[in-house]
Amino acid sequence: MTAYVIRRMWQMIPTLAGVILLIFFLFNWVGGDPAQVLAGKISNPEQIANIRKQLGVDQPYWYQLWVFVQQVFTFDFGRSWSTNEEVSRILLTRVGPTLTIMVPVLLIETVLAVVFAIMVAYVRGSLTDRTIMVICTTAMSISFLVYIIFGQWLFGFILGWFPVQGWSESYWRNLTTYAPLPIMLAIFVGLAPQLRLYRSFFLEEINQDYVRTARAKGLPEKKVMMKHVLRNALIPILTNVGIYLPSVFVGSFLLEVFFSIPGLGREIVTAVNRSDFPVIKAVTVYLAMLTMIVNLLVDVMYKLVDPRVSFK
Amino acid sequence: MSAVLPNNAPPAMQESPGLWTLAWRRLLNDRVGMVCLAIVATYLAMMLASYAGIVARDWNKEKGVSYANPSFMAGAENLEAREVTNKDFGSKAKPVDLSDIDPLAPRYKEWEERAAKIAVTEVKRAETLPFGGDKWGRDVLEKAIKGSEVSIFVGLTAALFATLIGTVLGAMAGYWGGRVNDFLEWFYNIFTSIPYILLILAFAAVFKRGLDTIIVILALTGWTGIYRLVRAEYIKHCGREYVKAAQAIGASHLSRMFVHILPNASHVILVQLSQHVVSFIKAEVILSFLGLGVPVDMVSWGTMLAEAQNELVIGKWWQLFAAGASMAILVTAFSMLTDSLRDALDPKLK
Amino acid sequence: MATEQNLLQVRDLRVTFRIDRHTSFEAVKGVSFDIPTHRTVALVGESGSGKSVTAMSILGLLPENATIPAASRILYGSEDLLKATPERLQAIRGKDISVIFQEPMTSLNPVFPVGEQIGEVLRLHMGMSPKAAAARAVELLSEVGIPDPQLRVRSFPHEMSGGQQQRVMIAMAIACEPKLLIADEPTTALDVTIQKQILELVARLQERHHMSVLFITHDLGVVGEIADRVVVMQNGEIQEQGAVKDIFERPQHPYTKALLECRPRLDRRPMRLPVIDDFMKGGGAANYDERPRGVKESDAVILEARALNKTFFLKEGLFGKRAVTAVKDVNFRLAKGKTLGLVGESGSGKTTVGLTLMRLHDATSGEVLFEGKNLLSLSDREMMAYRRRIQIIFQNPYASLNPRFTVGNILTEPMKIHGIGRDQKERVDMAFQLLARVGLPESSFYKYPHEFSGGQRQRIAIARCLTMKPDVLICDESVSALDVSVQAQVLNLLQDLQDEYGLSYIFISHDLAVVKYISDEIMVMNQGEIVEIANADEIYLNPGQEYTRKLLASIPKGWDATRAAA
Repeated sequence: MTAYVIRRMWQMIPTLAGVILLIFFLFNWVGGDPAQVLAGKISNPEQIANIRKQLGVDQPYWYQLWVFVQQVFTFDFGRSWSTNEEVSRILLTRVGPTLTIMVPVLLIETVLAVVFAIMVAYVRGSLTDRTIMVICTTAMSISFLVYIIFGQWLFGFILGWFPVQGWSESYWRNLTTYAPLPIMLAIFVGLAPQLRLYRSFFLEEINQDYVRTARAKGLPEKKVMMKHVLRNALIPILTNVGIYLPSVFVGSFLLEVFFSIPGLGREIVTAVNRSDFPVIKAVTVYLAMLTMIVNLLVDVMYKLVDPRVSFK
Repeated sequence: MSAVLPNNAPPAMQESPGLWTLAWRRLLNDRVGMVCLAIVATYLAMMLASYAGIVARDWNKEKGVSYANPSFMAGAENLEAREVTNKDFGSKAKPVDLSDIDPLAPRYKEWEERAAKIAVTEVKRAETLPFGGDKWGRDVLEKAIKGSEVSIFVGLTAALFATLIGTVLGAMAGYWGGRVNDFLEWFYNIFTSIPYILLILAFAAVFKRGLDTIIVILALTGWTGIYRLVRAEYIKHCGREYVKAAQAIGASHLSRMFVHILPNASHVILVQLSQHVVSFIKAEVILSFLGLGVPVDMVSWGTMLAEAQNELVIGKWWQLFAAGASMAILVTAFSMLTDSLRDALDPKLK
Repeated sequence: MATEQNLLQVRDLRVTFRIDRHTSFEAVKGVSFDIPTHRTVALVGESGSGKSVTAMSILGLLPENATIPAASRILYGSEDLLKATPERLQAIRGKDISVIFQEPMTSLNPVFPVGEQIGEVLRLHMGMSPKAAAARAVELLSEVGIPDPQLRVRSFPHEMSGGQQQRVMIAMAIACEPKLLIADEPTTALDVTIQKQILELVARLQERHHMSVLFITHDLGVVGEIADRVVVMQNGEIQEQGAVKDIFERPQHPYTKALLECRPRLDRRPMRLPVIDDFMKGGGAANYDERPRGVKESDAVILEARALNKTFFLKEGLFGKRAVTAVKDVNFRLAKGKTLGLVGESGSGKTTVGLTLMRLHDATSGEVLFEGKNLLSLSDREMMAYRRRIQIIFQNPYASLNPRFTVGNILTEPMKIHGIGRDQKERVDMAFQLLARVGLPESSFYKYPHEFSGGQRQRIAIARCLTMKPDVLICDESVSALDVSVQAQVLNLLQDLQDEYGLSYIFISHDLAVVKYISDEIMVMNQGEIVEIANADEIYLNPGQEYTRKLLASIPKGWDATRAAA
């Protein structure tokens, strides 16, 4: 087990190096001269040279890369180009609101999807099953934007059940007042694809030989589903949740933009619009690192669900 | 079954139906699949017609009054029309000067000139339009058609490129294994360790806006899923006896990769292509909505939705509906067609 | 025997599968037979005979698209199981009637310990407490012969061997002292030595627990060893049923006769194997003359392996690798125009040897001399000339032909690669000739592999090899996946081709009887090493090694007149 974790961490090093290279390549090479972007219309050559010096882009590429690597490991990306706020501070203060929305979304959505999927799989092939699948396909086809625009209008403007948008300093107030509508919309949108996916996991398991054995033992169909099938289907479900877990931190930037939630997602969109490279670079690198760690944790958790996994 | 049979039956010189023909026949039998195929084909035809300028050529013309009512609700009052007209939307005063950080600043002048040209050809404005008008009085129906053209074109092209990248890399990794596989897996790990949406935004941040760049962005970030599946298919098929038999008869590596294995993995690739068209259409809509997608002088479902956001509050629902519905119909049909394709191509039937 | 009672009576059973809206398929067409108490009834048939479907109907374990007409009955006592409510069926399953399946690995739930899976039945049907059930599970494991049962109850299925998994399935099945045990090909997936142990275990348990057993199998050899009554099925119909003695000694139906004769026997070696058509047309087998076999020192050698080694590396630990030796120091010679049989159980390395000879695997060390030239040291370009001279026929006829190629493409491709034939027309002509030679109609040329049966596909694979006019043909379990009757036809074809073209064969198989029939010389392998090499008759009459003796003893002997006396 320890050897496994160490080996996995060891394998992360080349991946992390690759991520750093990719981001460096994108922002320091493809991204062009940031000074041009920042100086804007008043393209005074002197000013540009000044900005270039300030940003360090007049240095050779290898030196810029070295600076970038140092930034990554000292957690110091300097200041935002547009707001002059410290990048580390931006990251730390924006994560909270994002998690306030996304953690409940992930939990509720997963539980609901598993419960509904097992119910649909139980009546597989029936009219109910087929109707629900058609509804899911249709629901998945409507753009998230339409749901948000319509939901905000209906529940915020017309019915007035929730505030149209906003955020406060109090965590509790956020969770009870501002978060419910975005959470609800996110779940509503995320449920259909997950339900479809998890249903297919259950159906896959139902066709396995061991299910026939369970029936041959005389187990009632409900017990077969709730014990034998569910336990095995949890393995691909866990993989799937593991894949989505890192994006919890990115948050739904659409929700954050619409509901004025000061989270990471909105920050990224703003940064992209303003070409605020330090913020994007920092967010990308750290989220990549986080993703790798989350993936490792998920793999370790595998052992709990699947006895066949060995850490050799 | 033994040696008695030959020579007495004249050889039927026609090829039997291959797996593709059989799959096509199964699809023909699938009523839902055929309806979906018809819908998708209609959209594609519309896209071509719009590209050729047969329909919706004048989408950018301001034909009606601001927020012109749809023809079927001609009687309804249209307060905004007067208001906006009174405000004189020819006013060129910019509210805030963002020019120092605005990357588009150099192009303002060009657009202004272009806008001026359009303004000259102003004609008498209609009170109602078939499916209503937008703020500038443009026909929403024509916008939706033109928007479909852009969105579908982006989705299709990006999906084709992503599939190409994913297939070639996946085939190489799966077939060669070893060092090639290690290298490509490293590459794959880099791309997948950055959350997808963040990856797209990071690419969007450094590229200029434009139709071609959004295709490049979607293709460069979207190949990973296809790569993974194609690689798995290749690994599976490399272990199959027919590939070993091909090796035993001396078939070259290229022949084994592309003549023997590729057709057997093609159903997976086709289904993936189809799925990616859908997801790229969705992605394009969101990017364009955020202003990171198509340029401002073009229309897509995403830019329509961006405009529609504020229209709903003042009761002008038609642009939201037009964009949302035309997209939903296409995507539903496309997804269900994908399901039918998957069923029809299922090689389990041997 | 006349007074024996029937535990279960199957009457006019018909099962139809709905394929799609328009088509359906009748798998079982009016089957009636009885299962007496405390007796073993064997349901024998080839693939597609409906034997498994019949057995699964008893417990209502058929797939959802199966329908059974109201006239069919399966009487358990006075109760018709086909009309029983789901709850009633659940009460019977696992308690009165239990089942073991063909694939023990997939039939056990991978995520639960085996003790839990056995205990589940006991808690369900016997109302035992979890603790009592766990204790009883240990006893049951020990009864089915699993060593260290206290430890093994906590094992997961993947931690056990195939034989042990099947023992666990059996423990689960007998947990509630059922009156009937349905065994659906329980030994087909197992090695022959393990098969013997499992058969003995089932027989012992049947005796001890006074069960009836319904044993489904394709192997008449097994039937002769364990059954009291035999039901022979073909295409969903019963062709013959009766006491085992009658079936083996006085078979009435030609199909039964054919099944008994098609299978190669250890003690006989006719010039050609009888095939099913010989019997169905009324006549007997054509040529029963013995074929002489064996290799002499003076025979020319065409292929020789010297000190062949193959090691695989598995990643382990932090940076560690673990070496697994699949083939260890293998030496042998293949005489020109003769057949070298290669037998061994799964994991013995026999297939690896075959693939290494052809360079489909890279050998770790050693030499393969073909006409004195070491194939392993040739460059890829030099190897091309030799590729066509050594060809291979694989086990699985469903996987060895490219499903997207027509048979014509499959046959002409190798000729194109090796420049055989002046132009496409000549190649096509040759392909037609070869199709005729392997006994397929010319129209096959335009068809795709999915339109052929398993035996026909093996013929296509053979024809593909023949296009290159090879000298050596490696048959890797080439007839193992085929039904007995088809097996005999393909073996005859291979033999004819050897007689006609003077081909040399390396015949790899786990089936000793088949290897004994077709080979001049036999090489026995175990765990990557050669146990012994000798002439076929000598190995059979006079095995030199303990392992060979054990293998020979494990082969089901079929009907043995002495058993009737006992």
